[in-house]
Formats: sequence, structure tokens, C-alpha cells
Amino acid sequence: MDIVSPWVVELSRFQFALTALYHFMFVPLTLGMVFILAAMETVYVVTGKQIYKDMTQFWGKLFGINFAIGVATGLTMEFEFGTNWSMYSRFFGDMFGTPLAIEGLMAFFMESTFVGLMFFGWDRLSKGAHLAVTYLVALGSNLSALWILVANASMNVPHGAHFDPETMRMTFDSFVAVVFNPDAQAKFVHTSVAGFVTASMFVMGISAFYLLRREHRSFAAHSFRIAALFGIMSTIAVITLGDVLGRLDYMHQPTKVAAMEGLWHTSKPPSEPWLLFAIPDDQKQTNYFEIGVPYVLTPLLTHTFDTPIEGIDELQEQAGPRIENGIKAVTALRRYGETRQQSDLDQFKLYEKDMGYGFLATRHAPNQDVSSITAEEVPNVVAKTKLDIFPNVFVTFWAFRIMVFLAMYFFIVFAMASYLSLKRQLEKYRFFLRMVMWSIPLPFIACEFGWITAEVGRQPWTVFEILPTFISSSTHGTGYMIFSLCGFLLLYSIFIAAELYLMFKYARLGPPSSDSATATQSSH
Amino acid sequence: MLTILLRFAGLGLVLVVALLIAVFVGDQGPWYFAWLVGTVMIVLIAVAGAILFDTQADGQDSKGEY
Repeated sequence: MDIVSPWVVELSRFQFALTALYHFMFVPLTLGMVFILAAMETVYVVTGKQIYKDMTQFWGKLFGINFAIGVATGLTMEFEFGTNWSMYSRFFGDMFGTPLAIEGLMAFFMESTFVGLMFFGWDRLSKGAHLAVTYLVALGSNLSALWILVANASMNVPHGAHFDPETMRMTFDSFVAVVFNPDAQAKFVHTSVAGFVTASMFVMGISAFYLLRREHRSFAAHSFRIAALFGIMSTIAVITLGDVLGRLDYMHQPTKVAAMEGLWHTSKPPSEPWLLFAIPDDQKQTNYFEIGVPYVLTPLLTHTFDTPIEGIDELQEQAGPRIENGIKAVTALRRYGETRQQSDLDQFKLYEKDMGYGFLATRHAPNQDVSSITAEEVPNVVAKTKLDIFPNVFVTFWAFRIMVFLAMYFFIVFAMASYLSLKRQLEKYRFFLRMVMWSIPLPFIACEFGWITAEVGRQPWTVFEILPTFISSSTHGTGYMIFSLCGFLLLYSIFIAAELYLMFKYARLGPPSSDSATATQSSH
Repeated sequence: MLTILLRFAGLGLVLVVALLIAVFVGDQGPWYFAWLVGTVMIVLIAVAGAILFDTQADGQDSKGEY
């Protein structure tokens, strides 16, 4: 495997991060909004009250705008794997391509077909049939997310696959193992439910806007109630699943956890604090201005009071022998590619589990060829490679904290919103309504930072402990990368501007028939 | 009578399929199962909240304030 220019790798990473973050501005709202629509339509079918049909149609219009633009931003990303990450696609294509293909064939088509029926079927379908269609759109949207997250989980915690030295690719062992990968399960539920939180805040925020302006009051209060209860339950679920994901990372991705917690040295249980604030310095491997809550970190991560959590220094020491073994594995693999001798294959098999660390050492090998490292050079190469095994601590630490702090804020806001709505006192607390309205962007920000935590925390690997990022990209020139990056930046910014313009326009217009009289009007 | 029996059989079939899914998914993928059950619960709680809203609105304590 040849080394690509570091500039091209960084530009490829930046381009993918940018397009993924743009796309992920639309996804959570789609995932959650459609289940809120299903809840509203369920009430309409059960009670027959017109206001719930109006609610489903109005919020459905905003969902439709988000859905259409969100799909457009997602399509380009699938091609990016081939254009910018061709080494990765060749190496890991079987594992990654299969869930992506299923997503396209099954979930996306299901979702798109039923979306049409949902929007245009109000006068053509019975109430029950239309409700079933809405639930199928909800299921389809979330199944789309499921397959993407199954693919993503395979990169974070590879499951159900092995490396084939004959083809130099990862090969499937078990499709069931890939789908039921514990990381995929927890990631899917966490991401899906984070979408529920996003949509709840969106509906609540716009409803608060109407209540503040004393417009569409009944419509807004009804919508607010559904969104508040939907939101509080979803926030509890998202925090619970966040804990599950943190524990899975602790067990399978210790470097990510150490970076998330700014843990340069192995923890001292049980008093190790959970850091509320710190400024991690990646160069000096230390934190400045630490403020923490003692006795929290150990039980939070390990669910015990006496288990130490490995810090970056200890993880680097543990990586030393793995890098040495990895160098032997890659050297044997290269020899086997030339000679096809069984002895070389046996040698490779002996050190196969550390192969990724051998690839990681490539950057520091003479002529970037691991097989040319002499016995005298090994300690030097190992020492340099050890510094590469953990992600950017500052970014991972703060991305994680912003997400967590926002989740705590959402819990308080949704709890208050549910209480005030149930007591019918929303309009008395205008400051709270204003707070809710201005909180609309926050769940989007939390989702973005959650994604950054997961993906920056996975570095320096595209496939954790198997394939390093710096040998995963395509061999483009920097000119091509800058040109395509500018193109994406421009195109996606237009998409975002269009989304914001349409959302503001239709949210300001409000529902067509919305005075309080409709609250009791029956469609029967 | 036949319609009732068919409906009963249909509901029975749905119940059997639901139980099989619960057993398999609950065993193989506990968090997927949790998502299925949890999402249904979240939707139902939101629905119940909306119906409670209408009940409150119909009650004597409502003064047109939200």
C-alpha cells in the first residue's frame, strides 16, 4: 500500500467531514419528525378531530422540505467513498458496501415510495391506510439510518469479517454478526433517538414562536404538548444509550475513551474526577485548568468503583509490542505476495491481529516500506508510531462535552416543557417560551458534535486497529481536492440556504386553519 | 361470523409474529428490541398527552389559557 500525500489525505478527510456534517444537519430532523407526525396522525385517527389532521399536514410540509434536501445531500456522500477513499473502498468494500446497498435498495426505496403516498394520499386512502403509510415512512427513514450505522459500526468495532491475504481485502464471515454488532445496535438507537429529540425541540420551538405571537394558539399548544412528551422520553433514552455507547467504547476503543475524557495517565479509582472543564494540550500531553467532579469517572465508565481506566500513556506502552508484531505481519504479508510460500503465510498468521499497527508504522519506515526496517531501526520506528495511536484529544474532549452538556440542558427544558404544558401554564412563562424558541438549533449542534466525537475519536484509523486513515484515500492531486471541496462547499451551502429560507417561510406562514375553534371540530 | 373468525385468526397471527420477533430480536439484538419497544412507548405517551390535552380543554378548569 502506497502512501498518499498528507495534504490529499487531510483534504479528503476535511471534504468528507464537511459533507457528512452538512448531511447530518438534515438527517436527525427526518428521523424524529416522521414519528411525531405518526403520533399526531394516530390521535387524528383515534379522535377524528380535524386539528390533528391539520397538525400532521402542516408539520408534514416542513418534514417534506427537510426530507427532499436531506436526500440530495446524502447521495453525493455515497460516491465520495469511491472517488476520495478508493483504497478504503477496495480494502473494506465488501463490509461497507453491503449495508449501503441494502440501505439503497430496501430502506431508501421504501421510504421514498411511501413518502409520495403520505403527501398525496390524503384524499385517496382511508384514514387507517394513510396512518399505516405514515408509520411505514417512519420505519423506512429509520431503517435507512440503521444500515448506515451498521456500516459505520463495522469501521469502529469490526465484527463478522476477516482479512484475506490472497485478495488483500476484508471478507465477510457472518452477515448476522455485522448486523447485530453491539456497537451498531447502540449507535442506531442513540442516533435515532437523538433525531427524536431534535424533532421535538423543532416542533416545540416553532409552537413557542406562535404562542409568543398569540397566533394559532390552540394549534401551537396541541403541538407543544405532543412534542414536549415525545422529547422528554426521547431525552431519557438518548442519555441512557449514550452511557451504553460510552461503555462499549471503553471496552473496544480505549484510545477514543481516553481522548474523550482527556485521560493522559491511567485513572486512580475511585476518586478520579469527571472533567467538566479542561484545556487539553496534545503536544505536551497534559491538561490545563482542570475542573472536575471527583468520584464520577470510574463508576460512569466501568460501572464499578475500583477499576482503573487506561490513560494515553499506558495505551502507548501497550501499543509498542503490537507495532513490532505488526511490522512482522506486514513484512511477511509482502513476502507472501511475492513468493506465495506457506512459511510466509504462517508467519503472517502468527502476527495477523496486529497487522494494522504494521500499516500504521509505514509512515515512519525508511522509504515508507515496512519490510525494509532493520532490527536496529525498529525501536525508533516503534517510538515514533506510538505517538500516532490516539486521536486529537482537544477536539474529541470538547466535542464530547458539548454534546453531553447540551443533552443535560435538553432534559431540563423538556421536563419543564412537559410540566408547564400538562399544567396549562405555558403562556404565563414567556421567558421559557423564548428560551425554547431559541433552543431550536441546539439539538442539531449536539448531533453534529456527537458525530465528531465518534469519528474524530476513531482516528488514526478508518477501520479501527486494521486500516489507518493515511493509506485509505485516493491518489488525487491537491488541486483536484481543493476544486471539488470548493464545489461541495458552494453546493451544500446553497442547499442549507434553501432549507432555511423554506423553513422560515412556511413556519412564519403557519397552518392554514388554526384558530381555537378547530380544536373541537370533528371531521366526522 | 366468518369475518370475526378471520379477524381473530389475523390478530392471532400478528401476535405470533410479534412474539417470534420479540424472542429473536430480544435475544440477538437487545438494543434493537429496546428501540422497537421504546419508540412505540414514546409515540403512545405523546398520543396519550394529546388526548389528555383535549380532556383538559373540555373540562371546567379551562379558561382558554395554554
